[in-house]
Amino acid sequence: MNGLISVLRSVRERRLATIGLIWLALVCIAALGAPLLAPFDPLDFDPLARLAEPGWPHLFGTDHFGRDTLSRAIYGARMAVLIGTGSVFVALVVGGIVGMLSAYFTKLGHLLMRAVDVLMAFPALLLALVLMTLLERSVVNTIIVIGTVYATTTARILFGMTLKLKGEVFVEAAICSGAGHASVLFRHILPNLVSPLLVQASFIFAFAQLQAAALDFLGLGLPPEVPSWGNMLSEERIYITRAPWLLIFPGTLIILTVFSMNLLGDAMRDSIDPRFRKDVKGV
Amino acid sequence: MLGYALDRLLTLVPTLLAASLLVFLFVRLIPGDPAAILLGDAATPEQVAALTRELGLDQPLWKQYFLWLGNILEGDFGTSIFFGKPVLAVIADSAETSILLAVTTMGWIVLIGVPIGILAAVRQGSWIDQATSGLAMLMASVPTFWLGLYFILVFAVGLGWFPSSGFPSITGEGGLLNLRYLVLPSLTLAAPNAALIIRLVRASMLDVSREDHVRTARAKGLHPLRVAIKHIFRNALIAVAGAFGFTFAALVSEAVVTETVFSLPGVGRLVVQSILRRDYPVIQGVILIVVVFYMFVNLLVDLAYARLDPRVSLK
Repeated sequence: MNGLISVLRSVRERRLATIGLIWLALVCIAALGAPLLAPFDPLDFDPLARLAEPGWPHLFGTDHFGRDTLSRAIYGARMAVLIGTGSVFVALVVGGIVGMLSAYFTKLGHLLMRAVDVLMAFPALLLALVLMTLLERSVVNTIIVIGTVYATTTARILFGMTLKLKGEVFVEAAICSGAGHASVLFRHILPNLVSPLLVQASFIFAFAQLQAAALDFLGLGLPPEVPSWGNMLSEERIYITRAPWLLIFPGTLIILTVFSMNLLGDAMRDSIDPRFRKDVKGV
Repeated sequence: MLGYALDRLLTLVPTLLAASLLVFLFVRLIPGDPAAILLGDAATPEQVAALTRELGLDQPLWKQYFLWLGNILEGDFGTSIFFGKPVLAVIADSAETSILLAVTTMGWIVLIGVPIGILAAVRQGSWIDQATSGLAMLMASVPTFWLGLYFILVFAVGLGWFPSSGFPSITGEGGLLNLRYLVLPSLTLAAPNAALIIRLVRASMLDVSREDHVRTARAKGLHPLRVAIKHIFRNALIAVAGAFGFTFAALVSEAVVTETVFSLPGVGRLVVQSILRRDYPVIQGVILIVVVFYMFVNLLVDLAYARLDPRVSLK
């Protein structure tokens, strides 16, 4: 827990990271309160107001079906948070368990880490594409696919860290005092992995946004009717000259969210690695 | 060195076999008769029966795998459903675009990433450092297709400096001038990767600058720029060289999105279109070739490490 507190403190020390945190809080609020905040139904067609410019009553304009861009963007925040946290969850749980068990039980590790090697032989986006080919386009499947891709890197990172911790005196002491495997792994080793896991989580969240948007763009991500920022960009790209707001709003939202998460991740990583602490203070 | 290289090559074999097994199982995991899937909707029952025999689909699964692997090793990747010609020929047609795109992109990454990274490290803590760090992080936060669309809007549609899409071969009419078709796509693809290199060059320069030999060089009164280039950067390059290799290896698959935005006839767009067309033999072939390429580039990077840095033990 001490690690967590010092990580949060280091975030507060950095102006930009604090702004990033505020932005992410806004995204979460939009995601949670979407039905209350959105002025229109994100799926409602209004044939009379097709490609309306930003103004009243459509603050962000409308798309080629006459759907309200602002409302779709607010509902899009929901997808962004869902995909982000979902992918982080899958990647950390699967990758974490595989990495920790592999380092702790060496024989099992030989087998599991080889499997990780094989999956890592596939470039990330290609692996995601292949998996999406086998699965239906849905929110859950997109989360599973992106989570799986990043579970491999997480497993490798945690494998290394657990291996290091396993040799520490306090772990040996716990084993000597009769602690079982589960107790050693989850009560003694896991707490020391919280900060690196947090850093990893923030980067996975950021990458997941970009990957999900790319999959949406290629027509292999979320189902087309789901209002996500990636789908908005993908559907409206042909109107880039006629209705530029249709691409500017969702694009900016993705960039701000990914940028904020990266800032946060950077601040957290630097606070863990003392080498970086005074490197870029204030950034 | 040679022994080390051979050793590493041998450790690659099991991974490669396992990866090929996954690619093989990929078509088998799709519900339905693999022969019918591989031939597409237009196939006649006779054709399906013939391919079933040819692929040994009536044999046990492990036999099918070795039959398939044997064919691959002989260069027979099957026939594309959509094009009706050998998969290898289809992939070869898109190879030129992909290779040229990857090479030009790599050029931009070095050109943008290295000088800015050095500048940021030399001016550590200054506004230049903060601005470039911020810029690098921003570049890494932009979806590539979004950037590509705006490059098209501004530089192709608006200013008319570059073509907006497609890529005619450099061996055809126009010759090397056709490379201008790749300017916007390569810049798009370079942006997030250059961001990574900026950060990496900066970080490894700062790492090296704390070492004793740098302090000695400074104490001798050498010009700071000379110290930065000769004493720091050359050592920092060892870490960066690896990143160049990994980046290059990943470009072929990352190009999927960029090639789609700019309608480039490359391997990446071929994958996406084959997925949408359900042209499974092509998907299988491309994935296998990309994975093998990816692994070999990674191997070369490891070998380069061992060669560049005598401290890497050749165990």
